[in-house]
Amino acid sequence: MTKERKQALWGLVLVTPSFLLLLVVVVIPIVQSFIESLRNEAGGYDLSRYEWLFTDKGMRNNIWFTLKITVISCALVLLIGYALALYLRFSPGKLAGWIRRTYMIPMFIPGVIATYGLMNLLGNHGWLSRLLLPFGVTLPRIIFDEKGLIIANLWFNIPFTTMLLSSAIAGIPGSVIESARDVGAGKLGIFFRIILPLSYKTFLVALTFVFMGVIGSFTAPFLIGQNSPQMLGVAMEQVFGVFQEREQAAAIAVFTFLLCSVLGFFYIRSMAKEEAARM
Amino acid sequence: MFQKNQKPAAIAALTLSLAVLAAGCGSSNNSGSDASGSSNSASPSPSSSASSSASPSASASSSATTASGDPVKFHFYFTGSQNVKDLWDTLIPMFEKENPNVKVDEVYIPSGTGAQPTYDRILAAKKAGKGAGDIDLYEDGINVVTQGGKDDVWQTLSTSDIANLANVNAQTMSDVSNLAIPYRSSAVLLAYNSDKVTNPPKTLDELLDWIRQHPGKFAYNDPSTGGAGSSFVQTVIYKDLPADAIHNSDPSIMSQWDAGFKTLKDLGPVVYGKGIYPKKNQGTIDLLQNGEVDMIPAWSDMILQQQSENLLSANVKMQQITPGFNGGPTYLMVNKLSDKKDAIYQFLNFVLSSEAQEVIVGKMNGFPGIELSHMSQEMQDKFKGVSDGFRTFNIGDLGTEINKRWQSDVAAQ
Repeated sequence: MTKERKQALWGLVLVTPSFLLLLVVVVIPIVQSFIESLRNEAGGYDLSRYEWLFTDKGMRNNIWFTLKITVISCALVLLIGYALALYLRFSPGKLAGWIRRTYMIPMFIPGVIATYGLMNLLGNHGWLSRLLLPFGVTLPRIIFDEKGLIIANLWFNIPFTTMLLSSAIAGIPGSVIESARDVGAGKLGIFFRIILPLSYKTFLVALTFVFMGVIGSFTAPFLIGQNSPQMLGVAMEQVFGVFQEREQAAAIAVFTFLLCSVLGFFYIRSMAKEEAARM
Repeated sequence: MFQKNQKPAAIAALTLSLAVLAAGCGSSNNSGSDASGSSNSASPSPSSSASSSASPSASASSSATTASGDPVKFHFYFTGSQNVKDLWDTLIPMFEKENPNVKVDEVYIPSGTGAQPTYDRILAAKKAGKGAGDIDLYEDGINVVTQGGKDDVWQTLSTSDIANLANVNAQTMSDVSNLAIPYRSSAVLLAYNSDKVTNPPKTLDELLDWIRQHPGKFAYNDPSTGGAGSSFVQTVIYKDLPADAIHNSDPSIMSQWDAGFKTLKDLGPVVYGKGIYPKKNQGTIDLLQNGEVDMIPAWSDMILQQQSENLLSANVKMQQITPGFNGGPTYLMVNKLSDKKDAIYQFLNFVLSSEAQEVIVGKMNGFPGIELSHMSQEMQDKFKGVSDGFRTFNIGDLGTEINKRWQSDVAAQ
């Protein structure tokens, strides 16, 4: 056996465990759901479950609503995450120190508790409205509305995003930024021409995490979302647990998976490009 | 130097904690398999003789233990809001203390998270020839009792097995062909803030008028997430239908729902938040408590219990309307294929004892399952006249159809 073949074999042996794990917990369930979602009411196989997804008015609204909430949440989370990470990197002040020490706290508060906390804080008769009442300020409806959902998504996703972006920005050598400054680059110029390109990979990772997290979220949308339109996670649970239509729920699951895999495609493509460049 | 030394210490601590974790997992696994298995382990215990005198059904309890004296463990599935779980968390330790030869493994399924699949599991296990499918005792409403009667999965119960069954109203038992034990009842009532509402509606029409005259002050919960909202929805849908329609589970009746759904849809803009239906029975109670609404449909037992714990202010009062909201007994059913029936009978006998019934009344504020004449005078006075007026809906799978149509017609209007 030549040395290369031996090495190739070893490589295969080493990836087998993770491949098997992936096969059992990811690939097989997806295939099963897909097959299940193709079964129609008569017992045959066709695309009627998917047809319903896009023809039922309520469901179509759910899909649009989910996409809207996800896109808005992703944009806001990444914007705030970048701002925070940059602030933490370039500000030596005391405030930055405090933020650095505390910004991870939301990650350690269980989702249900945080959600009830938000309900008590932002509800129609919540603390915030009571505090603002003497000033004659009336809050718009936040809980049981998409605003509340987006706020909850910010709470759940900003810490992790900031953490990811912080580490990426910390890896950018200060000398690069300084030399850019020396040749007269403005703040925005530095961000868009140096920081963003150099942390682009992490940006993509963060985007993927936020997107997947929001699109599949359940607890917050269940407790503070409207009855209609719903996030896909809530709709899926209702179709599965309450209406007992497993095939229909499987179709929603496969559709959600497809939405996520679009993002996964871009992510993997950028990774592959980088690998190719390195070789 | 000090810093260098910390590392091994930390590793040692980590290893230790991992070892403890592993040991913990291991021991809990062992205890689980010991209790359910009937294998011939050593150390015979005297519990089998101690318990046989506990109940009149001596034959049941003495044979409930296994040969080795290990306690018999059976699985008890139940569903409902948190108060139902609290109830069983109190009753089961009481029972196990008196009956060391039986262990009850409780499995709680929060309401709205799929109680139906539990029944499906029982049925699937039967069809697959897998016996009881590890669900020996099950608690649910009349729909499941009837359904199980058709599928022949419930054990017929008699006083020769469960002595205290004699305390239960014979008519109630024959209504369910002796397949289930109505161990407690409760009803959905109108709960209202008596500071704001002085003259609560007495009939459904008055209630609908009240809702229209007080926009935003009435809320009912999403019917797929709790019985109070679903009772309101069903009561409105069956408002103008013949009286016996509520016992009809035939899909042909669905065409007569249109008027009711239209009423519900029209109510949308005048209920809380112009069409917000909170999730779960507790969701609307929270709104009533913080003053956002003045009137909700709610389970009597949840209101009474939360008032007794000072979670809900005392100015919340209750009123039944005519035609009444949904209500009725909650039943316990024994899986016909269970091989631990003796232990289950022992447990059921305890549940129907006046001792356990007083706990049910005291803790859950439910109506007792046994006849009032078997309860203390104090209890008899407490429930005089209040434990009636509700109606029992028995519409089978149509409840799911209603929820489905509510989601598309009312929520997504």
